[in-house]
Amino acid sequence: MPDPVLYLQAMGFAAFASAMLIFIVVGAVHPVTLKWMNVASVLAIGLGLVVGYGLLAFRLNWPPANGLDRLLLVIVPATLVLELIVSCWSEPRRIAWLMRFFLAAAIPRILLPGSVHLDGFHGEARLLLKPVAELIACSVLLAGTWRMLSWLSERSGGCSIPLALALTIQCTGLTIMMAGYIKGGAATFPLTATLVATTLAASLAVKRSSITATIGIGMVELFGILFIGRFFGRISTGFALTMLVTPLLCWVSEFPTLRHRKPWLVGAVRLLLVAIPLIAALVLAKLDFDRAMTPLLGQLINV
Amino acid sequence: MSMRRNFLDLARAAVVGTILCAAGQLGYAADEYAYDLVHSSVSFKARHLDISWIHGRFNEVDGKFSLDRENPSKSTFELTIKADSVDTANKARDEHLRQPDYFDTKQFPTIEFKSTSTKVIEGGYEVTGDFTMHGKTKKVTLVLKGGKEHLFKDVKRVAFSTELSLKRSDFGFDKNAIGPIGDEAIILIDCEGMRK
Repeated sequence: MPDPVLYLQAMGFAAFASAMLIFIVVGAVHPVTLKWMNVASVLAIGLGLVVGYGLLAFRLNWPPANGLDRLLLVIVPATLVLELIVSCWSEPRRIAWLMRFFLAAAIPRILLPGSVHLDGFHGEARLLLKPVAELIACSVLLAGTWRMLSWLSERSGGCSIPLALALTIQCTGLTIMMAGYIKGGAATFPLTATLVATTLAASLAVKRSSITATIGIGMVELFGILFIGRFFGRISTGFALTMLVTPLLCWVSEFPTLRHRKPWLVGAVRLLLVAIPLIAALVLAKLDFDRAMTPLLGQLINV
Repeated sequence: MSMRRNFLDLARAAVVGTILCAAGQLGYAADEYAYDLVHSSVSFKARHLDISWIHGRFNEVDGKFSLDRENPSKSTFELTIKADSVDTANKARDEHLRQPDYFDTKQFPTIEFKSTSTKVIEGGYEVTGDFTMHGKTKKVTLVLKGGKEHLFKDVKRVAFSTELSLKRSDFGFDKNAIGPIGDEAIILIDCEGMRK
């Protein structure tokens, strides 16, 4: 059963752990370069996730038995390691993106083993077409949104992009919970808290910088949660696609009329633009939840 | 000449003997039965808030068993339940049960039992086998009551009933998601088989 107090505790401790690690690095390293901040951000997110999931008492299976196990035990650690490597050896950038695209291509395949979605892989060739097409489309979508958001972050920087990403992850989690997959939704609380805390703490240390590591980790987490919600839970393809591309609304700030405004205004516009579809999605999810829960709780609709 | 005749007689006797032996063996061979979905059911019940029982059933089940009356230890039983077919007479609850917090039917589409040993007991069989649910396999022992044969429209039928109590947490169900539904579930199987 959902336990809001436990979720808030997990978020608080995860955020605290992430922020403290950033501050320790800032205090220990002089000067704090962007490279150092990327490395610290990756480590801070990793630490925050361990603390958050520890408090939630998440029981994960090894070897991974389901989609969430594979996301939290394989994909998120792989992304953290990848971003750590890329942060340490950032040149040449093409190699870094090649590694990221390789990971993006592998993620959908890693999340689905043993499920009914890959039944076609053991049957006739014509049955193979649908799952293969779905896997390719998912990988392309992840790689595309990841590249676009990182590009925007490199162009104009600021903390509003990872914050918009965190907002989207949290709304996705709440929607997945309301669709009946409580553990899947609960998994987003530590993710959001660490992402927000790391971003805010890092922005205090390095002004107007683009911490691409947080974008990458956030994007993979958002994709992973949506993918699990779509393929193992009950969220629709349309909803999953909407949530995945919602952070791209941050690109609206690149219009000439907005681009050269004050950073806080640009950030606020980005967050506002991303929040609008997210609120609409949450309202729709709540209506669906009420419709589904009424018969489940045995309430009488027409008294 | 006489030696040749003796040899041919011996060969004939060997052939006839082999055929008779084979026929004898066929007479004792196990009967194969297919699960009759129309006259069988797999249902379950679990506690709600520890004060009442919720009942449900699985609508899509398949299985087979072979009964060797002469050598019962050679009898085998297999059952495959489609987890997606869970039915508790409440559509919203069924949808919820299919989610990854419960049966996770997209990841674990079937619940299976496959016997590994069988022995005769009074009024039926004691069957030990591998029970796989939610991706976890555990050894369970079923006490199958029944086994009475009935010929109906030239088809031989045999039926068994059993009840199995298990803890969902033993099969990898998340304790945090167990909530108001009790950890223990009782599965009731009434199976009628038609001889193939």
